[in-house]
Amino acid sequence: MLALGAYLAVAAATPLWTAALGAAFPGEMRILYPDAAPLELVAQHLELVLISSAISIAVGLALGVFVTRPAGAGFYDVVNDLTNLGQTFPPVAVFTLAVPFLGFGLRPTVVALALYGILPVLRNTVAGLKGVPAEVLESATGMGMRPAERLLRVELPLAAPVIVAGIRVSVVVNVATATIGAIAGAGGFGAPIINGLVNLAPAITLEGALLAAGLALVLDALLGGVEHTLASGRPSAV
Amino acid sequence: MISIRNVSKSYENAESAAVRDLSFDVPTGEVVVLIGPSGCGKSTTMRMVNRLVEPDAGTITIDGQDVREYRPEQLRRRIGYAIQGVGLFPHWTVAQNVAVVPGLLGWERDRIAERTTELLDLVGLEPDAYGGKYPHELSGGEAQRVGVARALAADPPVLLMDEPFGAVDPLTRDRLHVEFLAIQDRLKKTVMFVTHDMDEAVALGDRIVVMRDGMLVQQDTPERVLAYPADEFVASFVGTERALKRLSLAPVTEALAPVGLAEGCQCSVSATASLREALARILELGVPAIGVHDERHRLIGAVSVESIVERFKRPLT
Repeated sequence: MLALGAYLAVAAATPLWTAALGAAFPGEMRILYPDAAPLELVAQHLELVLISSAISIAVGLALGVFVTRPAGAGFYDVVNDLTNLGQTFPPVAVFTLAVPFLGFGLRPTVVALALYGILPVLRNTVAGLKGVPAEVLESATGMGMRPAERLLRVELPLAAPVIVAGIRVSVVVNVATATIGAIAGAGGFGAPIINGLVNLAPAITLEGALLAAGLALVLDALLGGVEHTLASGRPSAV
Repeated sequence: MISIRNVSKSYENAESAAVRDLSFDVPTGEVVVLIGPSGCGKSTTMRMVNRLVEPDAGTITIDGQDVREYRPEQLRRRIGYAIQGVGLFPHWTVAQNVAVVPGLLGWERDRIAERTTELLDLVGLEPDAYGGKYPHELSGGEAQRVGVARALAADPPVLLMDEPFGAVDPLTRDRLHVEFLAIQDRLKKTVMFVTHDMDEAVALGDRIVVMRDGMLVQQDTPERVLAYPADEFVASFVGTERALKRLSLAPVTEALAPVGLAEGCQCSVSATASLREALARILELGVPAIGVHDERHRLIGAVSVESIVERFKRPLT
């Protein structure tokens, strides 16, 4: 949380960016992205990441739980193949294909990012749930827990550290991937990166890249903290 | 009483039936031990009682009620269940683990706390010291005690125990046996107990059901299974030491001879000792006979090698 505060404070200090990037590129006139201040870029980027990651987490968790239930076990291979495919498919192509249906802007970007982020969550949800020891499941059922009680009170809590590790990977990768959203006009850190590329203004590209790297590090630390707390508070299942 | 009547079960992909036309009873307040080699169907039989496995044919009743009349969860909450590997919930404390079934049954908080304390006391774990511990902080023997406490939590009349003392060293296991028998003496539960260890079966069972290939081979008291194994299979399963096992079941008072026999020998064993202990003392001391004393340390007789041999010539009733 401290890291997030520090990050936002630095992003809000626009004069600081002008001074630092100006010093790094002496003689360069175009220092900062002209259409939005760094903090506005952070807001745009966070919107992309938070919405798409929320969808990834919800879908990944739901699918992971489904394919580890008796009723969904038959779908395990299909779901696994599809999400693997989703990850091998270049996100740029997903944007391009989604634009005719969803138009430009936030929506196609969120769809592509959400699809892209499912796999790590799904994979870790399945690994975490399958890692719960058989005798623990046996005693939970044998003592009269209903399937839902067993899932919520035993399986998910024991799988939580592994699931959070998957969420962490998904979110951090998402921060970097979301820069491509600028192609579809979704804004975010991709906007200065592409702007700098097109106008041969390296300072502007660096502005976007630094902001993206900083956010990735901050979210990684934040989720790493959650993961660590879950894993150390008690023994995990895996 | 648990009644198993003509129960059969086959698993898919299995060559032969797991359980074939099995019938036997577990009388109220008794411990019936199911024993046999792995794959003989003993665990499957037990798991059909709390419907973790559904039989293909036959009926299972508890106190006259068909287990299929209950919803599985309702049924299981009324049956204590302790398994090999214990299966404690690693993210909960010992107290929370013991409180699972009372919690599922919706007991009041205070009643659960009181019951948890009572149970930890019962299984010989200091409630204040152990209640807050996590399972990974327990030794194997302690975890198995918690497993037993958890199975007894809602005071179920029926207990199913599938090798609950499987994963501990022999010394700890012997101690757990003694404690289990003391608890059973007080609580008089109806217990179905699965093991592959004849010593454990002899030590704990009021009756033993020997199974092989899904069928019942012999059911009888431990003494009679040891003395009169039904066939070659049971004899080999009982083992070459079956005579010694029989000795451990019989108290010295069953082979009591006149005190005069032990004259000159300054040593004696308690009247509650087994013939096995008495024989061990005789061999150890190199004497022909040894005295037997009552709880007030008065000599009430003697036991000799001859009197032990004579005792085993008599048929069992």
